[in-house]
Amino acid sequence: MNSTQSPGAAVHIEDLDKYYGSFHALRKINLCVQRGEKVVVCGPSGSGKSTMIRCINRLEQHDGGRITVLGTELNDDVGNIDGIRREVGMVFQHFNLFPHMSVLENCMIAPMMVRKRPRAEAEATARGYLEKVRIPEQAMKFPGQLSGGQQQRVAIARALCMQPQLMLFDEPTSALDPEMIAEVLDVMVTLASEGMTMICVTHEMGFARRVADRVVFMDGGEIVEEAPPAEFFTSCRSERTRQFLSQVLGH
Amino acid sequence: MISLLRNQRVRNTLLQVLYVGSLSGLVLACVMIARRNLAEQGITSGFDFLFKSTGWDVNFSLLPATANDPYWWYFLIGIVNTLFLGTVGLMLATIVGTIVGLARTSSNELARLLGRTYVDIFRNIPLILQVFFWYAVITHLPTPRAAHEAFGMLLTSRGLYLPIPNVGRAALVAAVVAIIAAVALPAWLGRTSRLSQPIGERLGIQLTAAATALATAAVILAFGRLPDLPLLDFPALQGLNLKGGLRIPPEFSALAIAIAIYGGSYIAEIVRGGFKAVGKGQMEAALSLGLSPWRVFTLVRLPLALRAMLPILANQYVWLMKATTMGIAVGFTDFFMIVALTINHSGQTLEAIGILMTGFLGINLSLAAVFNRVNKAIALKGNQLRG
Repeated sequence: MNSTQSPGAAVHIEDLDKYYGSFHALRKINLCVQRGEKVVVCGPSGSGKSTMIRCINRLEQHDGGRITVLGTELNDDVGNIDGIRREVGMVFQHFNLFPHMSVLENCMIAPMMVRKRPRAEAEATARGYLEKVRIPEQAMKFPGQLSGGQQQRVAIARALCMQPQLMLFDEPTSALDPEMIAEVLDVMVTLASEGMTMICVTHEMGFARRVADRVVFMDGGEIVEEAPPAEFFTSCRSERTRQFLSQVLGH
Repeated sequence: MISLLRNQRVRNTLLQVLYVGSLSGLVLACVMIARRNLAEQGITSGFDFLFKSTGWDVNFSLLPATANDPYWWYFLIGIVNTLFLGTVGLMLATIVGTIVGLARTSSNELARLLGRTYVDIFRNIPLILQVFFWYAVITHLPTPRAAHEAFGMLLTSRGLYLPIPNVGRAALVAAVVAIIAAVALPAWLGRTSRLSQPIGERLGIQLTAAATALATAAVILAFGRLPDLPLLDFPALQGLNLKGGLRIPPEFSALAIAIAIYGGSYIAEIVRGGFKAVGKGQMEAALSLGLSPWRVFTLVRLPLALRAMLPILANQYVWLMKATTMGIAVGFTDFFMIVALTINHSGQTLEAIGILMTGFLGINLSLAAVFNRVNKAIALKGNQLRG
């Protein structure tokens, strides 16, 4: 496993443990993601993938081990947590847009409130990123008036407006109708080609093959295997990985 | 003919005609029976009594009242008293309910326990008992001679005495309006221009608005001052009783406290439900953007919770407005008590009850209309919401 400490690492996870009551959700996870690296995390449901990436911006609190994000250790220090959240964008399975704000407001609120950007600058940035996710014409609409694929692209734009150094994607296409998955993945591919550091929990193996530098396979709260996609899809070592791949790629 | 009866549209029309016909027949029969009975007992019906003077006094009125005033003026006094009690009661109940409701959703175990105990106790004791309880507490306060005093206010068994400025009535009303504006204006400015100005500028505008409104109030009070009297009229002991200041009678205080505490326990549950209805996802998204817990609360959690609460809250407000009719239990001259006294003194039962029902319908339908408008204005747009 790749767990060597390096100063340029975007995320460095050492011996991460997480419990829900008596359930051991994550067992001694070790993962290091370099700046600019794209990592795809996959595995059966309940394997701890989401829990792991939610630990990276402290939506879940870890119970053991160390997490260092962009050189800052994630601990009980509120300043550290806020500092990390400012630099780490997150996209959720259910979009989680603010339904009472327009698309533009969704994108402007954090830069204005957290980064104290003036309104005009925040609006220009927001419109720029809405252009990038190819829905500039929806700026004045409300989230509930958009399709699922459009909402997810707004969610990506909202995260990008904070100009994060690292993006976390938690099953971004799992709640989408099949014909909308492509429009979201296209945006993510573009983002990857521009050098964004990305950690994606996803079952889109086509995306993993095309974009990932490394694929991490998790099961039962452990990292079972990690390898570059070419190797991962053709010659995985573990039986559990082979079984999982035959299930997702089976059809 | 048979085939016509099998036609769905014909059937529906026929049912409607039958329904409306029997209903109007029933109403007509009621009116005719009532008229015959009234005529037999020699009671003249009609609304002429509204212009006769009442001949009795009310113990509390925001409007000037004497026993020579006609009935219609007394009804107005009753409505104003009910609205005054309702407004104070609803505002206090909302404050209590918000605090207790937030305590119940808090992560602090002690706060949750206190909140739950509060709701369990006060929601399960009938309102009328609570009214009597607070009335008993207040009427057992010390006599005017031994009054509790704080900041020129006196608390006695005869009521709460507040200092009031020695100014003309019109100036006082104008000043109150200006002071309300001082609070409302910054809030309104903050709402309408949340994203149109940077926070620093916005705060400046809000402060300027508040300062201007307060200055206006001060100017109005200064010019409206009654000559040769001190600025404030303090209540003071004269003989065995207190003179001067504004007296809040024990009946009013007891009702306001009871409505606040009883209504607060219901509103607490509505507040709790509203906050529970906010999706965890929206709050996580806000946190993941680096917004502080306070901003997550004010920008995301509260606005979404309010939308979930408002329809139920409107219902509760209408309920509590009707609860002001408990006034008759302790002798506060609210609308209901005025109507009851009118029936005793004039015998115009049907007319007085008609006026009572119309009055309450008017008050509560207006309340509901306001809430419906607000609801519609802030409703979430679109139907593609998940999570």
